Amino acid sequence: MTATGATQSAHPEHPGRTDGVANEFTVFTTIKQGEADALREDLATLADAANDENVHAALRQIGTLHDARHVIFDNDTRFMFASVFDGSWDTYIDDFAKTVVGARFDKVFSHSEGFPGVSDPGAKEWFLAHQAPAGVFVSAYPELTVQQIYKDQRVDEAFQEVLDTAEFRAALENPANAELVATPAFRKLLEEASA
Amino acid sequence: MSTADSGTSGSTAGVSVEIDDVQSGALRPRPVPYAGEYVFLRVDDRHAGRAVLRRLLPLTSGGLPRGGPSQDAWVAVAFTHQGLKALGVPQESLDSFPRAFREGMAARAELIGDVGESAPAHWEAPFGTGDVHIALSALSSDTGLLGRALDRVRAAYEGTPGVRMIWQQEVRQLPTGRTTFGFRDGISHPNIEGVGLPGSNPQETPIKAGEFILGYPDETGHLPPAPSPDVLGRNGTYVAVRKARTDVAAWRRYLRANTSSAEEEALLAAKMVGRWPSGAPLALSPDHDDPELAADPQRVNNFLYREHDDRGLRCPAGAHIRRTNPRDATIIGDARMHRLIRRGTTYGPPLPEGVLEDDGADRGLIGAFIGAHLERQFEFIKAEWVNDGNFIGYPGEKDPVAGHHDGTGSVTIPEKPVRRRLRNLPSFVVIRGGEYCFLPGLRALRWLAELED
Repeated sequence: MTATGATQSAHPEHPGRTDGVANEFTVFTTIKQGEADALREDLATLADAANDENVHAALRQIGTLHDARHVIFDNDTRFMFASVFDGSWDTYIDDFAKTVVGARFDKVFSHSEGFPGVSDPGAKEWFLAHQAPAGVFVSAYPELTVQQIYKDQRVDEAFQEVLDTAEFRAALENPANAELVATPAFRKLLEEASA
Repeated sequence: MSTADSGTSGSTAGVSVEIDDVQSGALRPRPVPYAGEYVFLRVDDRHAGRAVLRRLLPLTSGGLPRGGPSQDAWVAVAFTHQGLKALGVPQESLDSFPRAFREGMAARAELIGDVGESAPAHWEAPFGTGDVHIALSALSSDTGLLGRALDRVRAAYEGTPGVRMIWQQEVRQLPTGRTTFGFRDGISHPNIEGVGLPGSNPQETPIKAGEFILGYPDETGHLPPAPSPDVLGRNGTYVAVRKARTDVAAWRRYLRANTSSAEEEALLAAKMVGRWPSGAPLALSPDHDDPELAADPQRVNNFLYREHDDRGLRCPAGAHIRRTNPRDATIIGDARMHRLIRRGTTYGPPLPEGVLEDDGADRGLIGAFIGAHLERQFEFIKAEWVNDGNFIGYPGEKDPVAGHHDGTGSVTIPEKPVRRRLRNLPSFVVIRGGEYCFLPGLRALRWLAELED
C-alpha cells in the first residue's frame, strides 16, 4: 500500500501525520482468501461488551493509544486499522509484543496476507509497508496525552468530591482563609467550582 | 592485556555466551579508581587501516578480568559505519547494519534531543563530520598499566601513512571519586544472563544476553538484528559514545537559588539525581546520606520501587537514576526492553568546592552506552525517558540532570501534602558530540583486519 497523494512527513520511518503530541497511524491490508468471517469473529470477541473490562484494561496497559478502529471493507477483501497514539505507534511495539496486547494484535492481523507476527523482527517494516498516511489529521486536544487525560479526569473527580463537602464551603467562608481565597490562582479554581 | 583464555564461558539456563570472544570493553564494569583515554582515527587508505588493525589485535582482549579489574588495562577497538566503509567492508555488509548505526548519531540528533546548544552544528570536531572511523579506548585502575597500553596503541598507528589520529581525550576519576556534579557513579550494572558476571542489583531478574551481545536471543525471543556475514556480527555490540560538558556552576547556582539551607540544598540535589553524593539511593535512604550503606556493594544497588515507593515520595519518578533505570516502577511499557550498560568517565578538572561562577574550564563526562539495540535502548531512553515524562505520567517533563532544558522546564518532586515543582530549569549538560560505534567480537576484528582487495 502506498500513500495516495498525501504529503509524507520528513521521517521515512514515521510517515504518519501528527498534531501536537498525537500521531495518526492507519494501515490497510488484504484479508487472506476466505478468512473474513474468522476475522469478523475475532473482532467480535475483542469488542465483546461482556468482556469490556479486559478490553479497556488492555488499552490502559498500552497507555499511549487514544482510540482504534478495525474495519472490514471492499466486500470482505480488505481490512483497515486506524488509530491515534501519543508519540509514534511503534515506540512500544517491542514492549507489548509479548503481552496480551501483542496477542490481540497477532490474532487480528493473522488474517492479513503476509503478516509475519507482531514479535517478528520484520513486523515494523511490514506495518510501514502497509501504512497510508492521512491527508489531514487534526485533534481537538493536540497537547493532551492519554496519561494527561487520565490525570485530568482523576483530579476533576477529586475536585468535585471536595466541592460536595460542607466543610469546603465552610472553609471558604472562614475569614482565616480569606487571604488564600483572594489569590488569583485560587480564584481560577473557584471559577471552575462555580458552574 | 592479551586474551585471558581461561576458558570461562558463563552459563545459565542453557545460554552460554562466548565471553572470551567478546571485547573486554563491552561488558566489564568500569574499574574504581580509573584513568583512561579515548582516541579517534581516520582511515584514508583501507590497506593502511587494516595494517593498523592487525597491529592492534594483540592489544585487545576478551573475557572477564583475571584477578579483579584492578589488575588490568583494557583496550577496545570500535568502528563507525563510515569507518567500516573506509576499511573496505563490502557494501552488502555495510547495508546489513541497522538504520540508526548506518545513519550515525548526528543524523539522529533531533530524535534523541540533541538540539539547541547540543545540536550537531555546534559539536566539537571531528564529532559528526564523518571523519571518525576507528574509536579506541583504554581504561585501567593503574596509571602505569594504562601508560604502557597507550604506548603500544600509539605504536600501532603512529607513522602509518593513510591513518591519522584526529582526536583524543583523557579521562580520569576526580580526587573525590565522583562526577563533576559531585555524585558517585558507575554503581549500577545489569544482570546479564550467561556471562558469569554478577549484576549490581540482586533483585534484578537476569536480562537475556541478546540485549547486549549479538548472536544470542534477546528479550523478544529473537536474535538481535545482526550484520552479515555472521562472523562480523557475532559477539559484537553497539556503543553510543558521547562527550557531555557539564555546567557545574549553573547546577550549584540553581540548587542555591531554590533552597534556603545547606540541608535543603543537599536534599534537592538528591531528589534530582535519585542518589546522595555517596551513592546511597533515596529509595533506601530517603532523608539523609548514608555513606555506610553506599560503601556496601550488597546494598547500594539492592532496591526496587514498586512496593515501597511507586508514587515517588522517596525517589521521584522523574529523578535521573529512576528515569534511566526504572526497575519495576509503574511506567508505560516494559523497562527490561530498554536496559543499557553505562560507562561514564569524567574529563577535565573539578570545579572547586563552593564555587558558583563558571571558571571557563571544560569539564564533564565521556559516556559509553552499550547494548545490542541502538534504537530500542539508547535512542528510546533519550527520546522517551530523558527528554519526555509521559511514561511516568508527567508529559513534557524531562530528566532534571541530563535532559535538554531551555530555561522553561519544570520538574515535579512528589511530597506530602503538596508536590514540589521546580520551574525554569536550564540545561546543566551540553552535548559536545557523539558517535555510534560497533564494537566487534575478537574474531570479527580479525576478519576486518584480514579483509582483502
